[in-house]
Amino acid sequence: MLDKNLISRVLDEAMQKGSDFAEIYYEEKQVSNVFCEDNRIEKVNSGRERGAGIRAVKDGNTAYVYTSDLSLEGLLKAAAVANHVASAQVRSIDREINLSIKEPRFNMEYKRLPEQVDFEEKIEQVLAANERTRNYAQEIRQVTVAAGDMQRKIQIANSNGDLIEEEQARVRLIVNAVASREGMVQTGYESAGTVGGWELLDNINFAEMGEKAARLAVEMLSARPAPAGRMPVVMASEAGGTMVHEACGHGLEADLVQKGLSVYRKQLGEMVAAEGVSVIDDATLPGRYGSYRFDDEGNYGQRQALIDNGELKAYLYDYLTASKEGKKFSANGRRESYQHKPIPRMSNTFIAPGKDDPASILKDTRSGLLVKKMGGGQVNTTNGDFVFDVQEAYIISEGEIKYPVRGATLIGNGPQVLGDIDMLGNDLGFSIGTCGKDGQGVPVADAQPTIRIKQMTVGGTAVEDGPQIKRIRRK
Amino acid sequence: MEIILKKAGEQVLDIARQKGVEAEAFLLHARELGIEIIDGRMDTLKEAEEIGIGIRIINDGRVGFVYSSDLSGPAIAEAVNHALSISRYTVADEHNKLPQGNYAYPAMALFDDNIVSTSLEAKIEMARQIERVARASDPRVRIIERAGYDDQEFTAVIMNTHGLYAAGRANSCGLYIFLVAEEENDAQNGFSFMSKKRIQELQPDAVGQEAARRAVRSLNARSINSAQMPCIMEPYVVTRFLGLFAQVVDAGAVQKGKSLWEKQIGQQVASTQVSLVDDSTYAEGIAAFPFDGEGIPAQRNTVIKDGVLQTFLYDSYTAGKAGVKSTGNGQRGSFRSLPYVGTSNFILQPGNKSPDQLIREVQKGFYVTELMGMHTANPISGDFSLGASGLMIENGQLTYPVRGVTIAGNMVKFSKDIEALGNDLCFFGSRAAATIRLNSMSIAGE
Repeated sequence: MLDKNLISRVLDEAMQKGSDFAEIYYEEKQVSNVFCEDNRIEKVNSGRERGAGIRAVKDGNTAYVYTSDLSLEGLLKAAAVANHVASAQVRSIDREINLSIKEPRFNMEYKRLPEQVDFEEKIEQVLAANERTRNYAQEIRQVTVAAGDMQRKIQIANSNGDLIEEEQARVRLIVNAVASREGMVQTGYESAGTVGGWELLDNINFAEMGEKAARLAVEMLSARPAPAGRMPVVMASEAGGTMVHEACGHGLEADLVQKGLSVYRKQLGEMVAAEGVSVIDDATLPGRYGSYRFDDEGNYGQRQALIDNGELKAYLYDYLTASKEGKKFSANGRRESYQHKPIPRMSNTFIAPGKDDPASILKDTRSGLLVKKMGGGQVNTTNGDFVFDVQEAYIISEGEIKYPVRGATLIGNGPQVLGDIDMLGNDLGFSIGTCGKDGQGVPVADAQPTIRIKQMTVGGTAVEDGPQIKRIRRK
Repeated sequence: MEIILKKAGEQVLDIARQKGVEAEAFLLHARELGIEIIDGRMDTLKEAEEIGIGIRIINDGRVGFVYSSDLSGPAIAEAVNHALSISRYTVADEHNKLPQGNYAYPAMALFDDNIVSTSLEAKIEMARQIERVARASDPRVRIIERAGYDDQEFTAVIMNTHGLYAAGRANSCGLYIFLVAEEENDAQNGFSFMSKKRIQELQPDAVGQEAARRAVRSLNARSINSAQMPCIMEPYVVTRFLGLFAQVVDAGAVQKGKSLWEKQIGQQVASTQVSLVDDSTYAEGIAAFPFDGEGIPAQRNTVIKDGVLQTFLYDSYTAGKAGVKSTGNGQRGSFRSLPYVGTSNFILQPGNKSPDQLIREVQKGFYVTELMGMHTANPISGDFSLGASGLMIENGQLTYPVRGVTIAGNMVKFSKDIEALGNDLCFFGSRAAATIRLNSMSIAGE
């Protein structure tokens, strides 16, 4: 960690030319990864890194400088470059910056920090998962299992005198199974992650995760091509929250809203979703992949209702976007590492559960698509159009699951789809991911109950009329 | 800088020799400048500098890899020892070998001093110019999300215990803009970017105009009925598909049964119109460099010739396993990872028809200008189902804009359906392609 006096000197330098705000973000990070493929431990890696990013803000403009040179000269040089943002001949504050530690509001428990768990144990777990996945069926042709962890210490200090010293750890497990039969190839993917330590394995059975991935890959071998066109869609809670993340989360990030790049701009207080639909962003959930006590600007992580009963209540802010609107409050300034400036991001985002019994939602659906697992997605926040792929889906007919379908993509428009939710289950299922924006990836979790959307466009390869169906049949 | 890097690398090799193991040090020093303009003001200035080392130890065929941003003596000693200790967990593999030394590297002019000597103010002015031109080119361009200039330079040194020593330096620069055009109740995005090896070749006016054109032409787009029809794809869209091609010609994927072209060498995998090369010697491409991430000399590889698959792309490990020579495709994104198979300048060879002619020859078709969800395409099965937007083609003319549809298919058919290529080769990053026409594509809409 950096010395407090050194931090003060650097901040002082960054304020020399009249900046409104200066900040230093120091990070020292250790990562380790175990990677198994082709039935063997192929890679074992580890790395260490230290660096600092210095930011100066003047009239809403930012200069961001980062360096791995942590000597006093190196940091002062970086601070002097950050000063470019301002041009006044006088410093903006006439007093010394007195740093005082900001205490966290809740405990984050780490039972087994990455540094306390040796490679032997991680490898044993990876191999066990590999074996269960491979043994699931003879159709399994390739299995990839990866386990990674990260532990870091960060310091955030700013010209307001805040000093945050925080230690964080994350663990992530991944299994990817490839199955093939008669020239047809399908894949199944499972992942789990936590802001926490290896106690994740107390809650999650890695080998069972592998089996689940294998089952999906094999099941999709006998799936029919997904239909194309508009139809009712039921999304099971276990499908996770990719939809809410894309359909609404990104559009509520204040930087996009302020630049006029969101379909949700000027919609505060308006109905942007069906009655009964509430969307929450909550950084304080214990152990979830998007949780934090402090965001990457040193502000407290919060639980916030973004949409309440269909009405748009709030956007997600970082320091810069909050100060542009004269708001004191921000809780979503996040960054990938010291090499990135903070921007507004989601933490754990979910649609709040409703009252319907998930089984009755299915029973009530005469025909449509049941989505049990979603893949990655993407959104155009300007008009709200989003798309994501579906990894596991079934045709619903007369309230019953009929047969699996493969190769489906769902395409929709955020406010339209949220407005078309007509049933909300009383369950809640989470999925994790690394969310990319402006070239930065941060860990997030998303969740939703089982929901039904009246109509949505499904992009599949099976077109109803005539010869095209032949096209997708395989030899 | 090379001297500082070399010194750290020598320390790695010295310790490795004492321990009797093979070792490689990959050292990188990188600098980056980014300028972002909004409404004529500099919104963000970013300056970055990083240095680091990636250490690969091979101990009786077992690999250990450790990276560090600290090049001090004690940190390096600790990292080498750590790499050695974790190497015992991996499985021994006779193909884990480091390249032998004594390569002759091609002399390439990859460093433009003008990028360094051009003033910050001139760079800011270029970014401002993109924004001005974009706004001036159509009144419906209402929002500039961001416009910017960036440049990056790096020095890389690779050395290993077989006596290999490779050092090189390169830089490049680029311009970009993201904007929104608005009309009544519709808003559409437009973007453009340009990467060049020489700062004089950057064209802010062209970047601004292109982005405005892309946004404006998409205004008031609507969906269409599901159908099967010919498709024309813009060069940018094609380069996104090239990403998928890169995955299926990756020898690592092939050897693990994760490529649909696994058994297709010498076979017709694409229409006879298609030729694809990977060329790290192409000095105008931003991926040009005299050696790859393991110190293998740059070369030009013909991957597909007239539709026939010629070779996969190899690094040292996959080449050893296949009993062939590395194609010089051991890539490293940074010092933080082991080399992996990747493309350099990846170029789909253009055809001879103008894009206009390709369109004129279509009665009814879909002109694709943007895709969503490309990362969800599956390189193993080849299946893709992507959100798409673009323009309708009717009677040989581009007519109304289309959005909210998906295009779906499989790469096997996609490659064979390429019936014509345009003469408008364009680079997007390190991938280049011209306009292509596919004779049939499944489109899902209303």
